[in-house]
Amino acid sequence: MTFVSNSSLPVSRWQEWRAALRMPTIVALSFAVIAIVIAWSLAPQLFTTYSPVVGVPADKLLGPSLSHWFGTDHLGRDLYTRVVYGTASSVSSALVAVVIGVLFGGLIGLLAGFLGGWVDILLARLVDVLLSIPKFLLAVIIVTAIGFETINAAIATGISAVAFFARVTRSEVIKTRQATFVEASFLSGGSRWYILSRHVVPNASRSVLPLAVLQFGESILVIASLAFLGYGDPPPSSDWGLLISIGKDYLKWPWLVYAPAFVTIVTVLSVNRISRWLRKTD
Amino acid sequence: MSNAYLTYAAKRLGQAVVVILLAYVFTFVVVSILPGDPITSVLRNPQNGFSEQEIGEIIAAQGLDQPVLVQLWHSLSGFLTGDLGVSMRSNRPVSTLIAEVIPSTLILASSGLAVALFLAFAVAYGTQVLPKRYGQGLLRAFPSLFQSTPNFVIGLFLIHLFGFQLRLFRVIEPDSFWATLFAAITIGIPFSAQIAEVLIANLDHEAKQEYASVARSRGIGQRRLFTRHLLKPASLPVVTVIALTVGELLGNSLITETVFGRTGLGSLVQRSVSTQDLPVLQAIVSLGAVVFVLVNLIADLLYPLLDPRVKMVVGKKYRSTAAGEPSLDPTKAVNP
Repeated sequence: MTFVSNSSLPVSRWQEWRAALRMPTIVALSFAVIAIVIAWSLAPQLFTTYSPVVGVPADKLLGPSLSHWFGTDHLGRDLYTRVVYGTASSVSSALVAVVIGVLFGGLIGLLAGFLGGWVDILLARLVDVLLSIPKFLLAVIIVTAIGFETINAAIATGISAVAFFARVTRSEVIKTRQATFVEASFLSGGSRWYILSRHVVPNASRSVLPLAVLQFGESILVIASLAFLGYGDPPPSSDWGLLISIGKDYLKWPWLVYAPAFVTIVTVLSVNRISRWLRKTD
Repeated sequence: MSNAYLTYAAKRLGQAVVVILLAYVFTFVVVSILPGDPITSVLRNPQNGFSEQEIGEIIAAQGLDQPVLVQLWHSLSGFLTGDLGVSMRSNRPVSTLIAEVIPSTLILASSGLAVALFLAFAVAYGTQVLPKRYGQGLLRAFPSLFQSTPNFVIGLFLIHLFGFQLRLFRVIEPDSFWATLFAAITIGIPFSAQIAEVLIANLDHEAKQEYASVARSRGIGQRRLFTRHLLKPASLPVVTVIALTVGELLGNSLITETVFGRTGLGSLVQRSVSTQDLPVLQAIVSLGAVVFVLVNLIADLLYPLLDPRVKMVVGKKYRSTAAGEPSLDPTKAVNP
């Protein structure tokens, strides 16, 4: 008897893991896409043999082919290479934006929800004000104030997301604070700090995670929009939004727009799909 | 009009005024205190060719030599009396500059909103009425696809397809009927995706309710069920979604106007950004905040009248009790 139950224990745990990781094909595909994108941003040189900056003028504006997957641009540079090399700043800047939004928004929401009283009222007004300014315009004026660079665009995008995360965290914290187990923990002598770190933060972060993933996708779009308007790094860098912006002047060679656009859309779609899956399985 | 409603409306109005004032102060702080000095970067830029005396005059006229708090006070009192200041670049009143371009943006934004509503309701209708196997899955994928597509890509696609391939309009005439229509579609599509997502989730929720089953058991058709029973309760939260995303119309018009080469508020923002014309930027951004706050005020005041089940609580975004827990994200389904 003991032998059986002992040997079945690891199996069942393994099955639990498998059950937790079971996902629809489309979600698995989404993870694959994200894995490729991360690989592109970490080691772009492994995925292409061309240079992202130096072109072959004789090969300019070639259509997509086996040797140039996405064709070439007006300077004869391989577009696929440009996209791969642009991944790092397009994607990691979105990560910076999410971290800023979640950290500052989470902190504001945590303080407002946990302390309550006048702190809550004060912070709620601040969040109302941030929410009242159209997000994209807010990002535009912030990036204008601190300078046109992709990292600044990321900071601006992050700040414009702070209000949203503050609201979500606050409502989650309030929901948790009223739960019976928190009351029990308080009555059995748990300090404020203990309750905050042991009960409130883990519970709130669980519902913030899918939204953070969602915000990651949205940040890619916002940063691409800012780059499209020319508020990111200047050429010869190759942010996805910038590539599309350059391509729009060459609409006779539409792959210059469609190839980077396709990569952007597929990436954001995958991120959104994963976020939806996380929300459902939670 | 009960007494409770009037109290609620008065409180809500007061709150709106406070938020608008604070938003103005906030944008002022962002554009004037953060690093990035318009005097050195624009006025002293040799390309612009201002002499030292002219620079001195501009600084004096804008009051840039005074302490920040004094500047804020002047700017804020001007804003309250409807005076938006003078453009740093062209020396013309900001309100004139905005008045010149605002009709074009209003046309674009309102037709974009019309396109969005039409598309969202058409898609939502399809998801309820079409047979499960054909078409429904495709329609249900529509919102998430278009929420993942950058606005400018839709615009460039439309220009490429209808402007270059089909030659329906010429890109150099951005104010022609077809060009305006496609610009409106560009603005409308991402917006419609947000509306459609909420609408579809609400319709699915309503379709599972008992009253819907009763109607079905009496032999009502899917179409009649949709128009007679499901549509009204499901479309109420759309009011909130529109109110919450209306600010993004302005942001999206910035991009769309750039893509289509239209003049409007968006292109004015673009120009003011590149020349660091702070008074103009300050005015447009606070105008965006005013529009957002007013539209939300109207939506909040209308909502209890449209849906009597709603409780009037100041300081919270409420939704119909039928829609369950208030969700903080307007784009995510409102049903439990």
